[in-house]
Amino acid sequence: MERTPIVELRHISKYFAKVVANKDVSLKVFPGEVLALLGENGAGKSTIMKILYGLYKHDDGEILIHSKKADIRSPMDAKKSGIAMVQQHFSLVSTHTGTENIILGNTKGYIPISAYNSKIQKLANEYGFDVPVDVKIEKLAVGQQQKIEILKALYLNVNILILDEPTAVLTPQESETLMAFIKSYVKKGNSVIFITHKLKEVMEVASRVVVMRNGIVVGERQREELEEHDLAKLMIGEEIVAPVRDSSNRWEKLPTILEVDNISLHDSKNTPILTDISFNIHASEIYGIAGVSGNGQDELCDVLCGLKKPDRGKIYFKDKDITDSSILEHNLSGLGYVPLDRLRDAIIPGMTLSENMLLKNSFSGKWSNKGFIKKIELNNYTSDMIEKHRIKATGPADLSGGLSGGNQQKLVLGREVDIGTSLLIFNQPTRGLDMGAVDRIHHVMMEEKERGKAILLISTEITELFEMCDVISVMYRGKILGEYRNGELNTDNLGLLMAGIRPEGL
Amino acid sequence: MTNLLYRTILMSTPLLLGSVAEVFSERCGVMVCAIEGIFLIGAWGGFVGTYLTHNAFIGIMLAILCGTALSALYAFVTVTLGQQQVVTGTALNILAAGFCAFFQRVIFGVPTSPLVIDTLPILRIPILSNIPFIGTILFSQNIITYLAYLLIPLSYYVLFKTSLGLKIRSAGENPVAVDTAGINVTKLRFLTVLVAGSLGGLAGSFYTIGYVGMFTTNIIGGRGWIAFAICFLGNWTPYGVLFGTLAFGLADALSIYIQAVSTSSYFPREIVIALPYALTIILTVMRSNLRVPAVLGIPYKKDN
Repeated sequence: MERTPIVELRHISKYFAKVVANKDVSLKVFPGEVLALLGENGAGKSTIMKILYGLYKHDDGEILIHSKKADIRSPMDAKKSGIAMVQQHFSLVSTHTGTENIILGNTKGYIPISAYNSKIQKLANEYGFDVPVDVKIEKLAVGQQQKIEILKALYLNVNILILDEPTAVLTPQESETLMAFIKSYVKKGNSVIFITHKLKEVMEVASRVVVMRNGIVVGERQREELEEHDLAKLMIGEEIVAPVRDSSNRWEKLPTILEVDNISLHDSKNTPILTDISFNIHASEIYGIAGVSGNGQDELCDVLCGLKKPDRGKIYFKDKDITDSSILEHNLSGLGYVPLDRLRDAIIPGMTLSENMLLKNSFSGKWSNKGFIKKIELNNYTSDMIEKHRIKATGPADLSGGLSGGNQQKLVLGREVDIGTSLLIFNQPTRGLDMGAVDRIHHVMMEEKERGKAILLISTEITELFEMCDVISVMYRGKILGEYRNGELNTDNLGLLMAGIRPEGL
Repeated sequence: MTNLLYRTILMSTPLLLGSVAEVFSERCGVMVCAIEGIFLIGAWGGFVGTYLTHNAFIGIMLAILCGTALSALYAFVTVTLGQQQVVTGTALNILAAGFCAFFQRVIFGVPTSPLVIDTLPILRIPILSNIPFIGTILFSQNIITYLAYLLIPLSYYVLFKTSLGLKIRSAGENPVAVDTAGINVTKLRFLTVLVAGSLGGLAGSFYTIGYVGMFTTNIIGGRGWIAFAICFLGNWTPYGVLFGTLAFGLADALSIYIQAVSTSSYFPREIVIALPYALTIILTVMRSNLRVPAVLGIPYKKDN
């Protein structure tokens, strides 16, 4: 029996200036299903959904709701048609409470706030959302903020919920709650469009998958025919071959590049952040630090790169004490750093790619001559970098803020690999990136290892650590819980260690 | 002492109106940097209207109209066109100064004796004005001061208890959220700036109609900027700016009082005149943990 779709997009195209964001995209959404929209970053998934939600205007094609042509010009129109979208970056007023955010634009005149609070709290409880609605958004955890965003939609009684990369910001537990909500929500006859680039999530929750690449729909699969390998190939357009780790332990005989000797750090309230951290990294060694975010990894990076001075302990880099060296001295001595928050610590979004390449080298004289920038050399270098790391950009004069996250990360990677002639520090380098970019970063790490560089990889992803590292240690509440050769640990043991529990026999 | 406090309330009135105007507009994300010019054009409009018609009410209306008109121009450039607010404000302040000086000359020529108008009559509130001390200070003022009294609880109510207030505050924190809630941010901001302009025009008229009875091009003398600063000091709340304006009103009254009574020449007059301005700097520097609206001064541009 042919079901009638609740929403149908027909031959939608969208252009930004000259760039094609969506070309001839057609898809249907049926009541009671979870439609996963799968694709790499920049594949046009968010764009097509923003068109449906009235944020963008399409240049071609038509939208049908309940088989009738609909003219959606604004999110308000979309909501009237029963469509709401939770965007990747929440649109919440952080200084207001959940209730205030939810009723914004939906009330008139005097606001009886306590009546609204209890009404919306009841709604939250109905869906099993454990979130206080009368607390300011800025006081809530990200997972709770997302629940407020979803409540905004539920409050309007919509029946199609679009979720844009909803798990990117969630902890594994929060993701589970979200998945449970989605399942119960569609059981009531509602529909969910789930935008993601994570195959695991698709496998778990989707009733149907539409795969997009470069702005077009490249395939569609029903629940029964889902197969991870097939989806990955569709999504990326080519087979992904993971880099092979050289497990010969050649690095053991090579000299120590970084020696961290008993460092400790306190914050301004005298709470210990790092306690007696010691480890060594040899040339050609990838040393992994596993751990749940916020256990002192970021501060450890700050200390290693000279942003913070440890209270106690010493750091030796190529047998030289660099504990008290300035950041500039760190950079010039051959230490490269790919930080967690690239937009805050690594690039200036409003400047061009070449200017960002120059950023950490401005003192070295590499790109300047008597104070003048060697524009041509710098641009050539940047162009080479774009080609080498397959950065999606039109040229060195592009603004780095206009690139996707993965491409920004590859830009940072390219710069830091050149600066870090002996040591590279990576803090969660693949977080939130799509498979193509992750693959590129892993390959570069392996290549640099082969070249004899010491590499520190801080990660929360267990698979990544097992795939890349020679030695894995676990950080928990500012302490190193143990140091193991790759192979000595299995996934369960590492998971337990990350939770602060030392498994028996280790 | 009674006189000093009476004058404090008197001098606070326009600052209060002006800073409440700023509270509204800044809460929705727009700094009205043209506030000095709006004060001035309000003062001028109030003077012209009253002088020509001998009717203070028409003067006040003209003042409000002038203030609204200038703020409409400001809103068009900064909100509709999304241009830089500080630069636009500065330009309009200069424009207002030139405009007033020019048309003052066009309308009145160069009079041999200063042109004067009657200042607003003192309205004694029955019963309340008979209370000793307080009655004289609070309840023997003119109509604009009473309006300013009412404005504080009213604006608090609007900002924090109504849907409109929620929209305005949200627009200054996260306009994207307001937009996706189906509210036209540009329209909301434009109208808020207009309301701020009308309050600013009224505030300006107080100097000519309510107090001096004359118009000079330097009559405002930076008090628009003081209202601007008080909005910051008052942490963008109506009751916060009330305290701020009283402090400045006191400084203003004190400086006028000292100028009047001190006949000796060894206490420099200039220092006394500078008192309210010095206070602006001192209080602004001292005030910490301000809750600045997140997108204050940033135009909202919708991408399509």
